[in-house]
Amino acid sequence: MKPPSLGEFEELVLLMVAALHDEAYGVAILESLETKLDKKVNISAIHVALKRMEEKGFVKSRFGGITSDRGGRRKKFYVITAFGKQALDQQYSIRTEIYQQIPEISFN
Amino acid sequence: MHSPPSFAQKLLEWLIKDELAEEVLGDLDEKYYYSLKNKSATRAKLNYWHQVFNYLRPFALKNYRSNSKSTTMYKHNLKIAYRHLLKNRGYSFINIFSLTVGIAACMAIYLFIMDETSFDSMHSKKDHIYRLDEIQNFTGTKEQKVALSMPGMGPNMLSDFPEVINYTRFHQRGKRLLSNDEISHTVEKTFNVDSTFLKIFDFPLVSGDRETALNEPNTVLLTEETALKFFDNLEEAQGSSIKMGDNLLKITGILEDVPETSHMQFNVLFSMTTVTSENPDFNDQWGSNFLNTYLLLEDNVNADALEAKLDDFLVRHMGENSEDREVLDYYQLFLQPLAEVHLNSSDIEHDYNNYRKFNGQYIDTFAMVGIFILIIASINFMNLSTARASQRWKEVGVRKAVGAQKIQLFNQFILESILLALLALVLAFAINILAIPWLNDAINRKLTMWFFIDQPQYLAIIFSITLGVGLLTGLYPSLYLTAFKAINILKGNKQSGNKSVFRSALVVLQFGLALAMIVSTLIVLNQLNYMKNKDVGFDKDQIVLIGMNGEVNEKFELIKSELLDLTSIAGVTASGQRLGNNFHQWGFKVKTDTGVFQMTPSNVFVEYDYLDVYNIKVKEGRSFSKEYSTDEGMAYIINEKLVKELGLKDPIGTPAGHGWYPDDSLGSIIGVTEDFNFNSLHHKVNTLSMVVHSDWGFDEMSVKIKGDDPQAAIAQIENVWDRHIKDWPFDYMFLDEHFATLYQSDNQMSAVVSIMTVLAILIACMGLFGLSSIMVMQKIKEVGIRKVLGANAFQITFLLSRNFLLLVVLAFIIASPITYYLLNDWLQNFAFHVDINFVIFIVGALISLAIALVTIGYHTIKASYRNPVEALRYE
Repeated sequence: MKPPSLGEFEELVLLMVAALHDEAYGVAILESLETKLDKKVNISAIHVALKRMEEKGFVKSRFGGITSDRGGRRKKFYVITAFGKQALDQQYSIRTEIYQQIPEISFN
Repeated sequence: MHSPPSFAQKLLEWLIKDELAEEVLGDLDEKYYYSLKNKSATRAKLNYWHQVFNYLRPFALKNYRSNSKSTTMYKHNLKIAYRHLLKNRGYSFINIFSLTVGIAACMAIYLFIMDETSFDSMHSKKDHIYRLDEIQNFTGTKEQKVALSMPGMGPNMLSDFPEVINYTRFHQRGKRLLSNDEISHTVEKTFNVDSTFLKIFDFPLVSGDRETALNEPNTVLLTEETALKFFDNLEEAQGSSIKMGDNLLKITGILEDVPETSHMQFNVLFSMTTVTSENPDFNDQWGSNFLNTYLLLEDNVNADALEAKLDDFLVRHMGENSEDREVLDYYQLFLQPLAEVHLNSSDIEHDYNNYRKFNGQYIDTFAMVGIFILIIASINFMNLSTARASQRWKEVGVRKAVGAQKIQLFNQFILESILLALLALVLAFAINILAIPWLNDAINRKLTMWFFIDQPQYLAIIFSITLGVGLLTGLYPSLYLTAFKAINILKGNKQSGNKSVFRSALVVLQFGLALAMIVSTLIVLNQLNYMKNKDVGFDKDQIVLIGMNGEVNEKFELIKSELLDLTSIAGVTASGQRLGNNFHQWGFKVKTDTGVFQMTPSNVFVEYDYLDVYNIKVKEGRSFSKEYSTDEGMAYIINEKLVKELGLKDPIGTPAGHGWYPDDSLGSIIGVTEDFNFNSLHHKVNTLSMVVHSDWGFDEMSVKIKGDDPQAAIAQIENVWDRHIKDWPFDYMFLDEHFATLYQSDNQMSAVVSIMTVLAILIACMGLFGLSSIMVMQKIKEVGIRKVLGANAFQITFLLSRNFLLLVVLAFIIASPITYYLLNDWLQNFAFHVDINFVIFIVGALISLAIALVTIGYHTIKASYRNPVEALRYE
């Protein structure tokens, strides 16, 4: 079976989940991404990506404690799984490998 | 502090999956408050809404089907129904197939009936149009209804009765030779009509003005098809002229081709003013009946009330004075609504312009047959469902135990049966698309399933009938099944429902209907066969009829002698009218010692060899012969019936003549023939007088051919024809074809009844097959024990078949008298008919018994040969 694919946006979200480790939930991911990318991101897009990756087994989730500023609703925290990490590593190594194949080109 | 838009929140909560709701709504809320810090509340709210809409995608939306309780149940029921169908493929097949065939048969019958009843319905004033018919009662002729009327009747009714808005006459002019500069063709079905024709009837015009088209003398309307025979296109035809003989006629309009469902069929309409301008007296001409008259009445006129005034009308115009009511002894008038002309004219004679005239009583027969088939199919369904109940007891028991209400179970079973009915409807549609063209061939119709597509309201009718059938047939099994007591079922008690009286009654009904149809088919076929083979008193086989005009009449002797030289020709003669119709009646008189008697028998003028060619037997006297110069117009051969009617003891030599001959210059009777059926066998033999009038112009030549190759003979005749005749086409027909059209209604009925009978038997047998297999299965242990105790295969088979045979016998006893009564009624339509022989009933009963035996035999014999160990192993 082919390993599940990892889309570009999904990769970004997964990286962010990994980076925020244990503090990653919808709005936190959104804000960090918006800061890093310096552009607007839709919260729904993040939810879609998270749900998909959860189905693929890249992330797992748990509910946090009750908070007051969310209308009494719990946050849902995401953590990267070993399988998710492996996918990231693989993606990273492929890119690095290809990147290193670029000959020394001067752009001057 | 502004809170997030509550409506958007509600919407999202309502739409989104429960497991997502908390997270998503929470994140949105947080995002909202976060945005409030650096944006306006409106912007934040707008953004909230924007995000809500972003969740309208499959991953987030609730799956409603899996969440609503009522649909879950339906889905479950559907699944159970589907599994049940697959589990018992045999029974499912019988159920669905018989219902499919039943519905398909009904649909075909429905199409047929709609086709027949749609006749003449295209005219917007159809409810106020009547045909004027006569009842004639002439001495020497039986009383008869005729479709004919006199030229003076229409115009005078218009002037005498305010309730008559308009009239039109429809005068048959037969086959005419028309030509323009280049082309000439003979055209059939030409008529003279009054200028009012297009105002009364709605036959559409392609071009021309329907108000004025037929006002002028020497104007003519052609149908599209006819016009295109003479002209390249319709524009060219409109306003051009066409020649008929020496008359130049102006084409003032082009008619659309006459639809198939019109009792009037015409290709050319000549203006009646052509006749009346030359002969103004035509509008006041009485005494002779040769055309059809149609009247348009005021909206709220009672036709019966008008009819009552028609006696005085006749006296006024035909009597010597107002006291002279003698005319009423001969003529009476009645009005026939347009809607009845097609279907209710089977007792009307001289009805020449009534295309595809159909006996309306057969419509009822067809409807009845359709309903029978549907009943038989429905009974299969009910019987098999209840008989198979034993297999569903446990299902019902468990459902009840977990709390199913009676109504829920009832709904489940009803739904199942409706679904099957609808499935059958779809299949029936598919079957009919294939079967209708085949049926069209068999009964010579142009039925099409497009009818239902074109007119969805009829589709809706069929659909609701199917629903009704599903509901009704599901009703009894559903009630039966839901009535079980859960405790009894689950305890394993057998239900006492096996000896269902109701089910037996249904089998009796089913076989009663099938039996009635078998017997009816046998008798109908018997009658048709009788008509086909009855010795009508003349030879109707191998006779070729060829239309004649003036030119052919002139050269008749020449053609005749050349034809007689051919080896393939046995005889040639000619006559003024064709056999198979009621010959025209006109006056005939004889002079005896006691005075002169006037009578009005049927008359036909013939050529010398007529009796020889048709092999009509002369009982007394001699046939016509050229050796006697007086045989031309002054010698009469009459039939026995007329002799009896005239009361002549020694007819030969009695002075006689046409009604208009002066009493002192009569000819004489030279021969008497046996009574032969010159009319169709629906009618008794009428009085007849035959006479030779070579100068009157024969209508048709009759050529008797011999040998095995009629086509070669016809080619030879045509060869002779082409050498002598320039202007008249060689157009022939076989006499037996003509007789076939006379019995068309009857033949079609028998074809439909036969097909339906086969289907009915098929369906009934399938039901019996299914039922017997269930019965045998339920008695398998009894059979096992009996075998162990020493019963042989025959005894077992007899035991298992006995009940079914009893039912078939019972069906026979009940169905026979009813069938006898109905068939006897039908046979009264024929003056010459077979007697219902009770043997036919016995044969019918034996056939159904044999079919039933064979059907159940498969199961009963199989059961009787089974090893009892198999059945009893687990006891």
